[in-house]
Amino acid sequence: MEHHQANWGRPRNDVYGEYDFAIHNAGSHDEPTTRTLQPTVTGSSVIGIKFDKGVILAADTLASYGSLRRFVDEQRLFQVGDQTVVGISGDVSDMQNIQDTLDQLEIEANYDADGYPGPTAPSIHMYLRRLLYYQRSRMDPLWNSILVAGFKNDEPYLAYVDLLGVTYQSGCLATGFGNYLAIPLLRKLVDNDGDEKNVTYEQARKAIEEAMKVLFYRDGRATDTYHVAVITKEAGVQIEKTKCENMSWKFASQIKGFGTQKE
Amino acid sequence: MSNPSEINGGAAVAMVGKDCVAIASDLRLGLQSVGISGDFEKIFEYNGVYLALTGLATDVQTLSIDFRKKHSLYELREERRMEPQTMANLVSSTLYSKRFGPYFVGPLVAGLNSSTSKPYICSFDSIGCIEHANDFVVVGTASDQLYGICESLYEPNLEPEDLFETISQALMSAVDRDALSGWGGVVYIIEKDKVTKRYLKTRQD
Amino acid sequence: MPIEHSFNPYGDSSGGSTLAIAGKDFAILAGDTRHSTGYSIDSRNESQIHSVGDGLLVSPNGFSADARAFVDDVHNDIIWYHHKHNKKLAISSCARSIMHTLYRRRFFPYYVSPILVGIEPDGTGAVYSFDPVGSYEREASRAAGHASELLVPFLDNQVRKANQVDPETGKPLAQHDLDLETALQLVKDAFAGAAERRIQVGDWLEIAVVTKDGHKVERYPLRRD
Repeated sequence: MEHHQANWGRPRNDVYGEYDFAIHNAGSHDEPTTRTLQPTVTGSSVIGIKFDKGVILAADTLASYGSLRRFVDEQRLFQVGDQTVVGISGDVSDMQNIQDTLDQLEIEANYDADGYPGPTAPSIHMYLRRLLYYQRSRMDPLWNSILVAGFKNDEPYLAYVDLLGVTYQSGCLATGFGNYLAIPLLRKLVDNDGDEKNVTYEQARKAIEEAMKVLFYRDGRATDTYHVAVITKEAGVQIEKTKCENMSWKFASQIKGFGTQKE
Repeated sequence: MSNPSEINGGAAVAMVGKDCVAIASDLRLGLQSVGISGDFEKIFEYNGVYLALTGLATDVQTLSIDFRKKHSLYELREERRMEPQTMANLVSSTLYSKRFGPYFVGPLVAGLNSSTSKPYICSFDSIGCIEHANDFVVVGTASDQLYGICESLYEPNLEPEDLFETISQALMSAVDRDALSGWGGVVYIIEKDKVTKRYLKTRQD
Repeated sequence: MPIEHSFNPYGDSSGGSTLAIAGKDFAILAGDTRHSTGYSIDSRNESQIHSVGDGLLVSPNGFSADARAFVDDVHNDIIWYHHKHNKKLAISSCARSIMHTLYRRRFFPYYVSPILVGIEPDGTGAVYSFDPVGSYEREASRAAGHASELLVPFLDNQVRKANQVDPETGKPLAQHDLDLETALQLVKDAFAGAAERRIQVGDWLEIAVVTKDGHKVERYPLRRD
């Protein structure tokens, strides 16, 4: 071994011949390593709100390729375990990778068949936080913002995690454009921690429907069909697909100042 | 060297008391981290109206002289004193006239109205936007520190001596946590028919 | 010239500010509960005060993804210390351990300016503060986070009595140990001021008081705009 400090650790040239620098690029192909630097096919907002007996999550079914409506029937809410729903926005291929990971997690939790209740919402959230923080620390992030909804010690639980590993919890949460358009509507119901105790399912459901309508009106990457997940202690997880209803497009004729319109 | 407002350093604060106002500044003139002078006063008096100018020292000196001229011409033409409010508008319009090549200063105006004796203070940004306040205003490289301590120390309707103690403590504690300000301070307490000017000894680092 | 693209692993999501004061036989760690990203308030109820065991409290102050990972590290280190040595971790040792945790990531730092609070074995209240790569010292008081510039001069003036003189003798006022009541009032006043002038600070103030018997947390409202 070469003991001169400038080349310490390398094979000695006089013993093994001229050092071959090409071995630094060892590998089976010449391609450079690649990392996700931007999302490609993307899902828009996921929104969620707590109410007295549980949590509601909603996400529309559109997966866009830039401004192209590429896949119009993509489900972005997934049940994990029997009392948790994960809602994912951002890159759809990363979303499907996370979906596979969570499915595997659930399968392995069931191998034991020991009656152990399986992953809970806080544990799934913690798992996703570590996963996304690990990937961001490798400079190869999973390009998603995620809401996790379920129960913690029989109390409604709603938490956020994103591509940087940032997490937080609140009575109502939203990703993407939902942060600007849905949160102001949802905070009318649950502004403070604990306000959800005075909110009924009907109130929360109505707020979610209004918020999804506003998102369809104003978010160019949203569509009018969406999934709603309702998680309660009694009924567990119920996911249904619905459409925005009672819309009014009267305001559209008032919008001026772009395109081919005159005056 | 990229931000002209933070080359020479300096900070100033003004406060309203009961029938009085106070205005104070540090005395440092520096070139980035190097201290150059400890007697660079940043408060200028225009016949009872007080103007503090922090920021780029060359602009501080240029403007203080420019305002001297404009103030004198005003009093000759109008044959009356210039009110603090008028001074504020003069500062504002002067700064805005250089909207696209501004003077790099942070000014304060403080004074008592010559007829009503009502306290008046305000601050400006470098292009002349006036900010009025009925408690305190701060400018300079230690403005964050001044905001923090003034929010906690200030209380309304202080007598002149108490106002002096409050503004002095605020100024000294603030500039001690700013590397570009300090090296002594100066405080003016302005009452109806008395102005008291005091110098403050502070840390010399 | 090639065009370079890169992923930025750091973001601006964070809590507001925290503040610590050491007393004769107590220590205070206070922080607001607002969590924000840019101009968005993510949550009004995200505590910055973390109990890591052995009566020690940590506030990480900084990029919140790193903050959580950092607190988890500190927590784990204390658990492993118990497994290995079967005794309580002294606060000075915890401070040295945190230094190593931070310096381990010297070339990909945790974006945090932590404060560690607890009671020394001799019974005195202690505050240790760190920079992102592990430099640290024990102090009488410290503020960190978005409003640190606003809070620190006030602490200098009221805790360390900086620039204050005895009106009788004209001599500088000696620093004396604060009583708990005065210290709590200082904390509340300081945060009311910080919430007034910093958009990242607000919603709720959490004040944890640590004594030899453990810690208690109280909450007070701050402005919410």
